[in-house]
Amino acid sequence: MSDPIDLALIILALPLLACLNAAVTAVLKSSLSKVAHVPLVLSCAIGAVLGILLLLKVADGETHRWISNPITWFAAGNLKVSFTIAVDPLSAIMLAMVTFISTWIAIFSSGYMHGERGYGRFFAIMSLFVFSMLGLVLANNFLLLVAFWEGVGVCSYLLVGYYYEKPSAAAAARKAFLVTRLGDVGFLLGIFLLWKMGGWNTDLSALFDYIAKTPPDQGELTLACLLLFCGAVGKSAQFPLYVWLPDAMEGPTPVSALIHAATMVTAGVYLLARCAPLFAMCPAAQITVATIGGVTAILAAFIALAQNDLKRVLAYSTVSQLGYMFLALGTGGAISPVFAVTAAMFHLFTHAFFKALLFLSAGSVMHSMGGVIDMRKFGGLRKLMPVTHLAFLCGAAALAGLPLLSGFWSKDMILESLEMAAEGERYTGGYYVLLLVSLITVFMTAFYTFRAYFLTFWGPERIPEEAGHHAHESPSRMTIPLMILAVGAVGVGIAVEPFNHKFSHFLDHAPTLQLAFATSHAPVLEHHGFNWLLASIGTALALGGLGLAFIMYRKGTETLPAAIEPVFALSRNKLYVDEIYGAVFVKPAGVLAFLSGAFDGFLDAMARLISSLPRFVGWWVRPIQNGLVQFYALSMALGLTVLLTFVAFKIAR
Amino acid sequence: MNPLFDTQLQDTLKGVFRLVVPEIALIGTACVVFLFGCILNRRWLWFTVSFLGVILAMILAGTVKTHTPELLTSASIVPDATANFIRWVALISAAVLLFISWPEVSRSTAAEYYGCLLVAVAGASLVGRANDLITLFLALELISIPTYILLYLPVRTKLNQEAAGKYFLLSVMSSAVMLFGFSYLYGLTGSTNLAVITDTLTKANSETLSPMALVGIVLFIGGIGFKITAVPFHFYAPDVYEGGPGGVVAMLAVLPKLAGFVALARVLGLVGGDTRHIPFDANTQLPLLLWILAILTITLGNVLALLQDNIRRMLAYSSVAHGGYMLIGIVVACSIPDATGVMTRSDGATKVIGPSVGGIDALFVYIVAYGLMTFGAFAVILYLSTPERQVDSIDDLAGIGQTHPISAGTMAIFLFSLIGLPLTAGFAGKLMLFMGAFTAPADTATMRNLYRLLAVVAAVNAAIGAYYYLRVIGVMYLRTALKPIQSSRAAPTLIGAMVLAGATLFFGFYPQPLVNAARKAAPVPEIPVTITADAK
Repeated sequence: MSDPIDLALIILALPLLACLNAAVTAVLKSSLSKVAHVPLVLSCAIGAVLGILLLLKVADGETHRWISNPITWFAAGNLKVSFTIAVDPLSAIMLAMVTFISTWIAIFSSGYMHGERGYGRFFAIMSLFVFSMLGLVLANNFLLLVAFWEGVGVCSYLLVGYYYEKPSAAAAARKAFLVTRLGDVGFLLGIFLLWKMGGWNTDLSALFDYIAKTPPDQGELTLACLLLFCGAVGKSAQFPLYVWLPDAMEGPTPVSALIHAATMVTAGVYLLARCAPLFAMCPAAQITVATIGGVTAILAAFIALAQNDLKRVLAYSTVSQLGYMFLALGTGGAISPVFAVTAAMFHLFTHAFFKALLFLSAGSVMHSMGGVIDMRKFGGLRKLMPVTHLAFLCGAAALAGLPLLSGFWSKDMILESLEMAAEGERYTGGYYVLLLVSLITVFMTAFYTFRAYFLTFWGPERIPEEAGHHAHESPSRMTIPLMILAVGAVGVGIAVEPFNHKFSHFLDHAPTLQLAFATSHAPVLEHHGFNWLLASIGTALALGGLGLAFIMYRKGTETLPAAIEPVFALSRNKLYVDEIYGAVFVKPAGVLAFLSGAFDGFLDAMARLISSLPRFVGWWVRPIQNGLVQFYALSMALGLTVLLTFVAFKIAR
Repeated sequence: MNPLFDTQLQDTLKGVFRLVVPEIALIGTACVVFLFGCILNRRWLWFTVSFLGVILAMILAGTVKTHTPELLTSASIVPDATANFIRWVALISAAVLLFISWPEVSRSTAAEYYGCLLVAVAGASLVGRANDLITLFLALELISIPTYILLYLPVRTKLNQEAAGKYFLLSVMSSAVMLFGFSYLYGLTGSTNLAVITDTLTKANSETLSPMALVGIVLFIGGIGFKITAVPFHFYAPDVYEGGPGGVVAMLAVLPKLAGFVALARVLGLVGGDTRHIPFDANTQLPLLLWILAILTITLGNVLALLQDNIRRMLAYSSVAHGGYMLIGIVVACSIPDATGVMTRSDGATKVIGPSVGGIDALFVYIVAYGLMTFGAFAVILYLSTPERQVDSIDDLAGIGQTHPISAGTMAIFLFSLIGLPLTAGFAGKLMLFMGAFTAPADTATMRNLYRLLAVVAAVNAAIGAYYYLRVIGVMYLRTALKPIQSSRAAPTLIGAMVLAGATLFFGFYPQPLVNAARKAAPVPEIPVTITADAK
């Protein structure tokens, strides 16, 4: 129990047990499947407690990394893949966060999914999802990591397509899976390239040490980093592969909360944080990461401006916030990677709280509105759902980055890292532009967040008829998680970073980050004080966005001045990105598919011809199995004679 | 010195018994069961007694020290790693068979059934450690003779009788052929001891070719061909599998193959002792002969399985094909002693490396995987069969995906494993065999690229095989039953099937322990590779 590795393994095993349990009850259609949520809630809760214990242990410890004894999974030639996990500050913090957030999402789901068909199935997949995510976080071997990475993908496919009778849900699930797979192709190629460069190692720690000691060709390493980044782009929904995430809203809302807040989409960020030692060596890869992050941040924020679907606003805001994280990650190398990764991880950490909160609040709204999520159909829910209203307000304020709330601190850290990178040595102009981009995004974020807030909760009370008798505050097992997460969204930022620097000191010790710092040759960061100028600009922009939203939407309805209508139309239609993809990729692909189809028909005919051959041979030799034992004996004797003759002739020659 | 007073011989004669204590325990239990079975007819009782007997044998196998260094090499029993591996496989098979045969054992014949089963298992285990032609033959007969009885025991129909009769006649004939081959080997070397025969023939073979030894070994291969269902000695399989009782057929599909292959490897000198020498003319005749047998067996088994509508006949032909896959291991192992291992590399370094797969180790992995999935498939068929309605045709399985989800799920796992899809034990086995064939040293005069061709033929056949296995899965899940079947409610069989399915998946996810065990039993021979500097 005392060893961190054992603790981590227990945390990992808990959701697997929960999954087996839920799966068995679901398959057997046992009456126990009505309480299928219990194992998940318990395993997450115990996991969270153990995770916090682990966190304390890691913080106190003399050593800062524990690696389990590798158990060979398979080995062939140079390729050796083993089951091995690593506990270091980076994985410990993710572990604690994932289990903590999952606990509340699980509790919320037990209320939200109450009475749905496939209740057991839902919790079985959720447990498997949490298990895969924890495995991904802990894995210390690239191929093991891929296994869990794909496990997360499969679970998200199953969860997004949970209402599989609904065509749009099935299509969204397929889209999520296929688009992320696109990135995974690059990811796998990157791993193989690293395997080749890194002394045939597949263990992360060994690979990083090897590459740090014997730096490979810069171009090759950059290529490998960019390929890894492809995987992250797919999983973390970055431009140009972000299109799956908004569609993934077809899944039940707690799933959106789980996928978008604590798990899955953060996997890409985590991957890059984990691989910081590699990225720190390639400035070219870093500026690419930052640029993609910046483009995504502003693009998604712009699209979020005019969405009418509450969940879609949140989805695009997730995409945009993930862009922020990549912006921060991309500065590592120009500045100390320790600071860059800390900024990204800190934002990931606070974002997990307020985004889970926002999604769960949206879920609570959707639950009481009878499944309606279009903000034009309801409004003024302030009085009707007081707890949800307050929770959403906390989340929105944190997301907008209002001062002292958790989002403020983490966003500020990212802005600071960009500012320092802009004052650095390489690509200063680029980082400067990106700083501006992120500042504009701050404004837009505050605007669209509060637009959604005012449209939903302010103005006269309007309730869609689908709501029926549901239109009331949600039950306590849904509101309690909201309250807890609201406290987190408000307070977690100020509690761990700005005054005591606990978070950054904790991550400082991560061996991979130290290694990254050593390989990056970045200037040593003199600890300078709080950047008042940047913080004030950020605050002013956020308040400006809030104010604009208040002026435009305080009545709870949307009436647009004619001047900005075209801008909103552009935003509402998502910049026509889906249409552009349709025209540029899908249409030509359709033509190609038709041609391939025709060719395939030809091949199919050939294949049928060939495949009928074994059947024909079988039909031809079948008569020898005639059931007569005399004939069998004779054949055996004849066969023996043939063998002997064969040998005799061979010898005679 | 007079052998009467040779102390070493005395010690050996005494020591030999310690090497077969578990087998003695099995046969002792069988005797008890036979004897008191006349008085008491209780299925539960004899099941428990037999199971305890198997457990006792396992405990003894684990505890009794087999290391007896003073043993003469000419003793008729060898306690080497191969022998131990085979023993454990046999003992675990015994436990599995006891469980899965539950529904077909009737109250009146329970004692005979379980007794015969234990004797056959003891025989299989003894084959693994036989070091003498006579011991080997007796051990093989110890499998065959109880099988005749087992096939006759639950006789209900003419089909049963026919199956038993055919098996008896053809088995006797194959034994006769084998004995004929043994007589040549004895005549040439003047000894029945396998170690002596191997040494003598190796010496003789290094000077000049010995045609008579080859004739002897070909006759032996013919006899063993019956056990391992190699074409053209496979004819009995479909008829017997169709007519025989399910549990017996499951045993018949695995134990004789296990025994046959280990006997083949032992007599060819591929396991135990120095595997760098084999006593027969390896580089010209034997691998080619076995190569042809393997290809014939795989191909014929697969194409005939394609046409079957009866699931037992289909499994029979598939078992023929799997016997062919396992022959690949023998073919590859035969090639290794002859390899010179000359490699050309640019840096001109010299080091000793072996091939990645030795052949026999792959064979052992495959036979365990094959045992798991074959036992499993028959267990599911047994579980779904009732005396009123046997599962015979593939169509009988229609719709069990809905009505019997657990049976269908486990059956699907076994079928996937038989196909050799990844993450099942069957995949691990096939991968090792194919890799063996692909990396076999191809520098012998006659074989050259034939190994690669063998791997390709086997792979094509694996694809053909996928068709008929997938067809069963399709029937199970995509069609609805015309007449829904009842299950026999035999809990032990279902538990057995689930454990087997679990093991199939476990060794698919994590084959390393199995591979390590097989490698311990049959280490990959090291070939000193002379790497010469690149000419360019």
